[in-house]
Amino acid sequence: MYRYDQFDAEFVAGRVAQFTDQVERRISGELSEDQFRPLRLMNGLYLQLHAYMLRVAVPYGTMNSTQLRKLAHIARTYDRGYGHFTTRQNIQFNWPRLDDVPQILSELASVEMHAIQTSGNCIRNVTTDQFAGAAADEIIDPRPVAEIIRQWSSLHPEFSFLPRKFKIAITGAPNDRAAIKFHDIGLMAQQDEQGKVGWAVYVGGGMGRTPMVAKEISPFVPHSDLLAYLESILRVYNRYGRRDNKYKARIKILVHEEGLATLREQVESEFLQVRGGVLNLPDDELSRIKAYFAPPAFKDSDARFDLAALKVSDPEFARFVLHNTNQHAQAGYTSITISLKPVGGVPGDATDAQMEVVADLAQRFSFDELRVSHEQNLVLPHVAIDDVRAVYEALNGAGLGEANVGQITDMIVCPGLDYCALANARSIPVAQEISRRFGSARRQEEIGDLKIKISGCINACGHHHAGHIGILGVEKRGTELYQITVGGNAGENAAIGNILGRGIVAEEVPDAIEQLVEIYLKARSGAEENFLGTLKRVGEAPFREALYGND
Amino acid sequence: MEMIEQSDPISAHQTNAGKDRLRAFGIITLNSMFAQKDASGVLRMAIEDLLADELAVVSSFGADSAVLLHMVSKIDPNLPILFLQTGRHFPQTLAYVKTLSKRLGLANVRLLAPDSDELVRFDPDEDLWKSDPNACCHIRKIVPLDKALGGFGGWVSGRKRYQTEERGALSHFELTSDNRIKVNPLAYWEGADIAAYKKTHDLPEHPLFAEGFASIGCAPCTSAVTNGENPRSGRWRGLNKAECGIHFDVNRRISPAMNKAELTLFRDGEFVADPWGKWVEGTAPVLARYVHVPLVEFVVNRAAYLASLHPLGLLVGAGDDVMEVASDLGRFSSIAVEFPAFTDGRGYSSARLLAERLGYKGELRAVGDVLADQIPLMRRCGVNAFVVSHAATRKALEKGVPGRIDVFMQPAGGDEIPVGTRAFVRRAPNFTVSTP
Repeated sequence: MYRYDQFDAEFVAGRVAQFTDQVERRISGELSEDQFRPLRLMNGLYLQLHAYMLRVAVPYGTMNSTQLRKLAHIARTYDRGYGHFTTRQNIQFNWPRLDDVPQILSELASVEMHAIQTSGNCIRNVTTDQFAGAAADEIIDPRPVAEIIRQWSSLHPEFSFLPRKFKIAITGAPNDRAAIKFHDIGLMAQQDEQGKVGWAVYVGGGMGRTPMVAKEISPFVPHSDLLAYLESILRVYNRYGRRDNKYKARIKILVHEEGLATLREQVESEFLQVRGGVLNLPDDELSRIKAYFAPPAFKDSDARFDLAALKVSDPEFARFVLHNTNQHAQAGYTSITISLKPVGGVPGDATDAQMEVVADLAQRFSFDELRVSHEQNLVLPHVAIDDVRAVYEALNGAGLGEANVGQITDMIVCPGLDYCALANARSIPVAQEISRRFGSARRQEEIGDLKIKISGCINACGHHHAGHIGILGVEKRGTELYQITVGGNAGENAAIGNILGRGIVAEEVPDAIEQLVEIYLKARSGAEENFLGTLKRVGEAPFREALYGND
Repeated sequence: MEMIEQSDPISAHQTNAGKDRLRAFGIITLNSMFAQKDASGVLRMAIEDLLADELAVVSSFGADSAVLLHMVSKIDPNLPILFLQTGRHFPQTLAYVKTLSKRLGLANVRLLAPDSDELVRFDPDEDLWKSDPNACCHIRKIVPLDKALGGFGGWVSGRKRYQTEERGALSHFELTSDNRIKVNPLAYWEGADIAAYKKTHDLPEHPLFAEGFASIGCAPCTSAVTNGENPRSGRWRGLNKAECGIHFDVNRRISPAMNKAELTLFRDGEFVADPWGKWVEGTAPVLARYVHVPLVEFVVNRAAYLASLHPLGLLVGAGDDVMEVASDLGRFSSIAVEFPAFTDGRGYSSARLLAERLGYKGELRAVGDVLADQIPLMRRCGVNAFVVSHAATRKALEKGVPGRIDVFMQPAGGDEIPVGTRAFVRRAPNFTVSTP
């Protein structure tokens, strides 16, 4: 993975010193909360319902064990013993004290981490496929390019006060595991006729109150021009994006109001000026960065799982292998997803002790590498198939052995009204109820892959728009109500779910989900047809009817 | 050469809108409208715009006088030059008045003589300088000059900061207690600048200069100076007196220091007076000067603004497209980029387009909600001056730009990109590109 050089270290140290000074000015009263706000936001420090919240960047979701141990240490020392992994592949600490934050940032800097640009109207952490550099279906490892984008976008002098936040996701595989079409810019690796790799650029995706699937603005941008192309999009957005209404300020609205053709024309005309200049990315520089992401020293191995045999001899482990491993490009290896969705637990949370266990496993079994997935799980990307059993046992010992990845209890859930100042309704308790309802292994096996995503307000941090079943918390006359959507998809065939009907109270949500699942189970053509397949075939009507009758 | 004795001062006070507007800027605005050593610029503006037809030069025809007089001769050789004929000058000085005036073609040198009745009354033996030099100066210099200045709105002096401690706070323009504007084009010049100018233009020296007289007034009160001595230390040597009095204001001090808080423009590492005024809607294009004209207004009346000869600035609003004035940038002495709110970042793009794409090299100032923490970013986008009203920001800037991060990850601004390097090859002084 990428390692800081003297330059990065200096850069982050400078930022820590700067923020330390700003915190001191705030505590001394020299800065008012109003003046402090934009400054703390630039360093990922939010003011939540009960306390400050610090969001730490995990660039493109990649970490090593030293870094995760530091996060565990911070959780233990400065917080309440846990952290929350987010859909942006970052981690949030929910209870830091303001006067501890400079110290936390300086501890982070000591392991090459920071909180820069994890909030504010700037270019946020670049996210990618959690299996980048490991997945069998990958055309190219997207991390070197993600790292270059990180460098280009860090404290960008022109793009630090955009109309609104700006999120870029990149994937090197045709199977989109990074939800790129729900980002302001999505990049998907493409190969042209000569086999040259470049990027299809999608623009204007997003969730929130106006969900949009990103549209293709360019089918192929070569590596060498990528930064120039991104700068062109950002400049057009910075100049013409709406600033009169924060709810209409994302680039998706610009795309929607101006039309893709107009935006493309503006971007292309800017691109003509910018391309070939200082942002041109020569091959040797890409190679230099690529060297940081060279594959680890894999051992030759032809080990493979015999699932059929395992199902008989060790059904629980077989289930773990089936759901929690992903096919690796290297024979004899696999990627393990560590579920942070224990039945009845808080999705995405990990205790300091659990982080220590995972760090340990990464060091021993995964070439010291770790990933955070946008679905709020952790990943050991490079585990020898012969070691999976040992990893599984260690995980079980730490309460991390849940074999539910991709299943109905592996939900994306925002913090909701339990933490968040913006939320209208609680999300976590609703998720916990659903998780308990569908917790049995047999039930989950029967249902198969089904993605539920829950947001506590229209800002859609829980990606409910992209859930096969989405749940949105709203507030009506003092009551927390939940709207149910169906048909969302975060993958390469991205789609936004449709609302089935009026909101229902929290207590009714598990029953409603149960009813939807029952309809699906009854209507599906076979176990291989997933929820979206059935929905497409039979339409929404039976599902709507199940919830609301014929009215 | 025509030499005229004191004649009637110019009676007609010609006023016009342009002059009034210029004066309305006030002294603070007038100062720092010019680079410190732009003596000719100061002089030209004073002669042609600020005090047209009501300006005089007061010259001692002393050791350095040739410099200012040479500049005057190039702009307007008919400008009134007032010389205080005190009656106690060195004969060499009187000869120099003639030779220099002839050489420079000065056509309007006026000799101001003291009132003969007063001389008879107060200094019959011509030794008042011994017993009461202040009274002597009063009769021979102050009273005659006061009389002569009656018809002038302002006057030019050749004083320089380096000459004495008291003159160390001198600025280009002062407002005197009798409501005249005093112009000091050479305020910031050093001895070396004077010497260089004399050499470049091959100006004749005062005959006594070679004998060690660095500042020359009346003979009885002037002595030579030795190397290393302050040039004016030869005047009234041994007496607690450094000024004859013509430059005193009501409080017997010269050039009161400006109030720091009135300086709002941060440029080149310090707060300076802002020479630019506010554009007022409805101002006829031909009358606009030293104001930042809004881009939209400029575009609408482009021909008129281009035809005007006055110094002009441009105001780029947050939503304005700078590409609309791409071919007119040479017209502007200053461009102001507006940041209407801390969170409105459009100005950063405008600044980069101006500085990088369009190659604008002049003053590029940020106006509006300019806070300390934005300044490093603005600088990197090409902004080189900041109009600051926020008190905490002002304090921070006075302490040194806060939160400055000297290393950066991407190129922005023309001079940040060393030859042969690229965007993402992060670089800063003393850092090398590393490999894993």
